[in-house]
Amino acid sequence: MTSIVSNPTENIVECCDLTVVRDSKEILCEATCCVPRNSLTFLVGENGSGKTTLVKTILGLLPKHSGDITIYSEKGKNSDMVAGYVPQGITFPKQLQMTVTEYLRYSSQVKTEDIESVLSRVDFPQTHSEHTINQLSGGQQQKLLLAAELARSPEVLFLDEPLSNVDDSGEKHILDVILEIKNSGVTIVIITHDWQMVSKYADHVICLNKNFACDQQASCVCKNSLSTVNIKQIQKLTPDPETTHDGYCYIDNI
Amino acid sequence: MDLMSEMLTTPFMQRALIGSLLLAVILGLFGVFIVPRKLGFMADGVSHASLLGIAVGLMFGGAPLLWAALVAACIGLVLAKIEDNSRLTLDSVVGIVLVGGMSSAVILMSLTSGYKPELVTYLFGSLLSISWNDIYLLIGFFVVTLFLFKLQWRTLVLTTVHGELSSVLGLPTSAAKYFLFVGTSVALIAGVKLLGVILISALLIIPFSAANQATRSLRSSLIVTECLAIGGTIAGIILSYVYDLPTGPAIALVFVALFLLCVIVGRIIPRPVLGHEHNQ
Repeated sequence: MTSIVSNPTENIVECCDLTVVRDSKEILCEATCCVPRNSLTFLVGENGSGKTTLVKTILGLLPKHSGDITIYSEKGKNSDMVAGYVPQGITFPKQLQMTVTEYLRYSSQVKTEDIESVLSRVDFPQTHSEHTINQLSGGQQQKLLLAAELARSPEVLFLDEPLSNVDDSGEKHILDVILEIKNSGVTIVIITHDWQMVSKYADHVICLNKNFACDQQASCVCKNSLSTVNIKQIQKLTPDPETTHDGYCYIDNI
Repeated sequence: MDLMSEMLTTPFMQRALIGSLLLAVILGLFGVFIVPRKLGFMADGVSHASLLGIAVGLMFGGAPLLWAALVAACIGLVLAKIEDNSRLTLDSVVGIVLVGGMSSAVILMSLTSGYKPELVTYLFGSLLSISWNDIYLLIGFFVVTLFLFKLQWRTLVLTTVHGELSSVLGLPTSAAKYFLFVGTSVALIAGVKLLGVILISALLIIPFSAANQATRSLRSSLIVTECLAIGGTIAGIILSYVYDLPTGPAIALVFVALFLLCVIVGRIIPRPVLGHEHNQ
């Protein structure tokens, strides 16, 4: 169970010695990390390293085996009021005819008079507000999900690979929207494989990598299939900072 | 006109019309959530397997439909429980339950001596078999179900769109799922006297599937689903009465005709085409 504490601190989310077990398999082992308030934090790592599991556990969608998760809220005490979430590769059922307006009403209880402003916040075309959600392109669906989550005014927003269903021209657009949201004071956590995006935009990185090499606690090289990125100033490293190892790397200020 | 007044004044037709109206509303509503979740086969499986309850009732005494409702509710509970089990697909469990329930029912019936004419009624439905007691029970079930729908409506809609998003919103997703599975199972049994275990899933699946062909929003598809469910059932009953046809097949064929009509209407009404140019 995630603890929600009404006490605004430097970090909005803190995980301490978090272990998650699914189907008798240890997905996360004593992971310790935090998400600084008002930051754009990236959660990176190989496939199967537990990125989505970590986010879902923080959100209370998956049970933890041991450890502590705390969300420090400025306003509310319920996790659904504090945290927003846009899952990866969501596909709306084709058999359900639901308009964009209806989706916003149901998901975030947006009033009719507020629909326009909610959609404009993510630059969603107003002309599509009466279109059915399963007809929207990947980029438009992503914007709609973002709009719905933002309408609930979350303090922290978790985005699981938000660009996975979006084409090249749409990527830049979605990223601009995400940066605008961040600048409006919402903490954003993005799960991604895109190291270029991490290098360009990150305020903070949490690396869940089972294959990284560390050099005398001075820098950490996260390896992945596409590139190698040097990350400086290691804050905390588990379990062994001295050598190449399996484990969790928590990095700040790349 | 004489025929209409004759139908409306005949007690068994009054009962059939009232019962069908209540069932059409409830099963139409359940269909709105069962069809998009691709649980249509579940409906067939539950109704067929509940024949076991009917066989137990006919063999050992007691109201066969209450036994069937008990069996259906248990199956609904089990299916809801195992829905998220990664080792078993829902379809495979429904298939096993269907085969197990029907086979047990046939074996049980073969052990009883003499011909059981009621069995045909339960298989294909019969207007004459609906009693006032059935109607009173149905009214009670109708009121409770509508109340639960009102409580769970937002959760049902959002879990149909995406389960995880609903959980993040803190909605009671588990309660809504059990209501959907158990409620649908019991509602199917409530309609057995009208359409029979073989055809009752038509009232659950076809109205929403038909409405979906010609509508462009949840609200309109809900309204059209209910209109088709009520209109189709009553039209089928009238056809059955006028031409002395078996009730269940008459209603089911009306629904099939309505579905085809909606497909044609859906092709005529153009949908807005969202192209790549909006992909931003």
